[in-house]
Amino acid sequence: MDRGRLTPVGWAALLLGALIMVAPIVWTLLLSLKHNGELVGHSGAALHGPYTLENYAAIFGNSSTLRWLLNSAIVALGTTAGVLVLASLASYGFARLEFPLRRTLFVIVLLGLAVPSQAVILPQHQLFAWLHLHNSYPGLILPGLIAPFSVFFMTTYMRGIPRELDEAAMLDGASRFTVFWKVILPLTAPAQSTLAVFTFLGSWNDYWWPLISATHSDMYTLTVGLAAAQMNYAQTSGLGYLMAQAVFASLPIFVVYIAFQKQIVRAMAGTAVR
Amino acid sequence: MNGARDWRGLLFVAPFMLLYALILVFPLFRGLWLSLNRVDLFGDGRFVGAANYVRLANDPIFSTALLNTFKVTLMIVPVLTVLALLLALALNNAGRGAALLRGIFFSSAVLSVTIVTLIWRFVLAPDAGLLGEAWKAAGWQPLAFLSDPHLVLPALAITTIWWSLGLPMLLFLAGLQQIPHDMYEAAALDNASRWTTFRRITVPALRRTIVLVVMLQTAAQLQLFGQSQLLTAGGPSGASRTAVLFLFETAFGRWELGYASAAAEMLFLLILAVTLAQYWATGRGREASGAR
Amino acid sequence: MRRLLPLLLAALALGSCARGDDRTHIYLQRFFGECGAEYGGSTDVAKAEGECGIMTALINRFNAENPDLSVDVNVVAWPGYPQLTAQMAARDPPDLVTMHEGVISDYAAKGLLEPVDAYLAQAGISIARFTEASRQGVTIGGRAYGLPWDTHGGLFHVNTALFAKAGLMKGGKPVLPNSAEELIAQARQFQQRTGKPYLLQSNVGDPAYAARNQYSYMMAQGAALFPDARHIRLDTAEGRRVGAFFRRINAERLGTLNMDTPAAIAAFVNGEGGIYPTGTWMIGSFQKEAETPGRPLYASYAVFPYPRLWGRPLEFVSGHAWVVPARQRSPRQRAAIARFFRFMAAHNFDWARTGHIPAFQAVLESAAFRALPHRADIAPLAAIGRPLPTNVQRQSAIEGIVGEEMAAASTGQKPVAAALASAERRVNELLSQVN
Repeated sequence: MDRGRLTPVGWAALLLGALIMVAPIVWTLLLSLKHNGELVGHSGAALHGPYTLENYAAIFGNSSTLRWLLNSAIVALGTTAGVLVLASLASYGFARLEFPLRRTLFVIVLLGLAVPSQAVILPQHQLFAWLHLHNSYPGLILPGLIAPFSVFFMTTYMRGIPRELDEAAMLDGASRFTVFWKVILPLTAPAQSTLAVFTFLGSWNDYWWPLISATHSDMYTLTVGLAAAQMNYAQTSGLGYLMAQAVFASLPIFVVYIAFQKQIVRAMAGTAVR
Repeated sequence: MNGARDWRGLLFVAPFMLLYALILVFPLFRGLWLSLNRVDLFGDGRFVGAANYVRLANDPIFSTALLNTFKVTLMIVPVLTVLALLLALALNNAGRGAALLRGIFFSSAVLSVTIVTLIWRFVLAPDAGLLGEAWKAAGWQPLAFLSDPHLVLPALAITTIWWSLGLPMLLFLAGLQQIPHDMYEAAALDNASRWTTFRRITVPALRRTIVLVVMLQTAAQLQLFGQSQLLTAGGPSGASRTAVLFLFETAFGRWELGYASAAAEMLFLLILAVTLAQYWATGRGREASGAR
Repeated sequence: MRRLLPLLLAALALGSCARGDDRTHIYLQRFFGECGAEYGGSTDVAKAEGECGIMTALINRFNAENPDLSVDVNVVAWPGYPQLTAQMAARDPPDLVTMHEGVISDYAAKGLLEPVDAYLAQAGISIARFTEASRQGVTIGGRAYGLPWDTHGGLFHVNTALFAKAGLMKGGKPVLPNSAEELIAQARQFQQRTGKPYLLQSNVGDPAYAARNQYSYMMAQGAALFPDARHIRLDTAEGRRVGAFFRRINAERLGTLNMDTPAAIAAFVNGEGGIYPTGTWMIGSFQKEAETPGRPLYASYAVFPYPRLWGRPLEFVSGHAWVVPARQRSPRQRAAIARFFRFMAAHNFDWARTGHIPAFQAVLESAAFRALPHRADIAPLAAIGRPLPTNVQRQSAIEGIVGEEMAAASTGQKPVAAALASAERRVNELLSQVN
């Protein structure tokens, strides 16, 4: 059980990697705290003061920001909840049950991994126009629910759970749904958390679908709203503001990650499977 | 499972499959139909049979884009998989330091592609970037990562690896949670070396996850788009134009919905072929080792 | 909260069919960003700054002056065409939209835009009042498809301090070339004396730069870029001359090679080069630097249209216009659009404070406009500026192709002739597919 320990070289590599990961993010943070005018042509100015919160004030000064935040939260949470339910059910079917067309259907889901979202976005837009779903929450949530990744991942995970567990429960006379609900589902907590984090993240950062589906500003999600709020040449004359937007938009995901990460790594400390 | 072969299993998969059929399969077939038409964004068009596919086959811009896509995928997937696996192994414990490091290695994943490219532009731009300054400080000519046709794909690959490390790391961590303790305890009793333990226990137990990560990342990187659009606009001279960027330009820039759909179908088939090849190659392995 | 309430009300009014007020609503969609934090309640147009600020104050002012109307604003991310196209496909377009003049033909050809002649007549605006560049930019086949709002195009932004060091100042004005040979000679002299590049160029991720050069200097030589609406001609003697010239500039390292737009802007602001050829939109930012003591550009900034190098002084330009997507509208809404046009035409000077060239000849010639910094120097752009022929569709895609190929030629990745031929082939193929 000494697998957690690292050699000094390992530690050094790990810390160097951490530095590479974190430096740009710290830098983003610093830029977001600078007056825009100071950064024109001098992004290095971020390394020293004076710092200000004016860019964050400008984000909140826009009366629509909270509305967009709310929209994003509704869409991302709705998508996450929907994905967890649909994927868990379907994956249990694929991983544990025998039924006609099982293999075929699973391969069809697998095929979905190969569909570039840009390839179906326009037909999807037409479909949602026919269904009058644009500029609505269902319109923003539904396309996120059918991620083939979710089913593929959960099925893979469930297949890794020893079958003896459900067989024992079946011998006790439990129904299939009870086995799913009482035996399998609790064991998939790390996978559920991982999937939740990634679904939330993908939905939160999604840009193209909300851009063409939510065209009224009161239905914008945060990514679309913040992009609309940017003035031209924001990279030059509004760098601080741009970075403040980035920090602001990323915070909720980070909170979600922190909330779930305990579930993801329940560690070798004893609560893990068996 | 005592040969149970009944329709009730369908009930579990039906909700997902119905939505899937409506929102993914139907648009995919609609795209297939569009690809056989010369049609613009507003639907005025006519049937042209395979003409769009013939055009694609003779379009050097498209073939370059496909080639770029495969190259950048090959640069990204192996490195990303190995790095993520090493990280997951190193950080798979309950300590506070590990939790903090996991957070750090995950943090880039929370950023949107817009910001990721904005940040990496600062690192990579030869006349203003961090790498350029470091190179100059070392007395070398700074590398033109974003304007040298040979360096621009590696630049996209580095950016993407930095951005995408979080997901595979989490997948591996979740996979490691599935390995029963007693297997390691048994190995410890046998005085197995760490390398042996890794090779004999961890890797086989993680096999499904490794396959999952490689397949997912391959499919995802073959669809790489935003980084190339925002960092280099596909340049210089198309050297970083990926297949999905080609699709996007054709649909939204040129309004050639039929042609873009044909390109989409081609790309879909290629990704499909790669994904299925990976699935079957590893699937056969599983049958062999699956007699648990 | 004073700001929040009307906005929420507007949102509710939009969402429901039963509108609570008897005002006539028109739905306006624009880019230029969102600056409600600073200008949310402001109707003082003269005090507003920048594209976003001036635009916001103008619309606030219009709403205040027209209590029986309500302009509901939807801000979209630049340039907004994917959304507009999506809205049109879903048959739900706005009433007024900001549009680049080069894009008008795409939508007009499909009958997706209303000709605006009737609105202009109702607003008492005669087409004869537009500048030459603006008139050409919005007119297709004799009909106007938008209210022109500005002209924007490439300018030579000059660092006069470095020009003085290079001995290229005369009578307080920078000496700009009058021929291709002169430019090369002056650039060499500049680099010798200052040790810095003569041209700061954004060649990375910015096809517009190379396309603008190619278009402008081919037009100046009298080349017909588009013999008809379905064909481009680039691989000509004129085209090769321009391509070879920019190749030579880069081969001699008289210009920077590896910069993208933000890098080139930063370099210019930091005094690292003589000329930065970019658009009218940067004047405000650069002027601010020029007015700030201690900055490298302090009191050292001048700006002019692209110099004549061959033939006549002509330059490729574009412009912003207000267009009206086709849809069912009540007579009151149509009257409201006309009133909006009249208001915007009357405030064209305010918009010109952004750095763009006004669309109205009277504003261009006004003392107030000429009193703004540098405006007298750049005003000729309205006369020498030429859009691409307005019956040519897909102009932004064409610009992408021409820019990509010509950038490859000027940086030496492709022979000039090959790039021209390839651009020509790609553009003609694209145009042959337009329905």
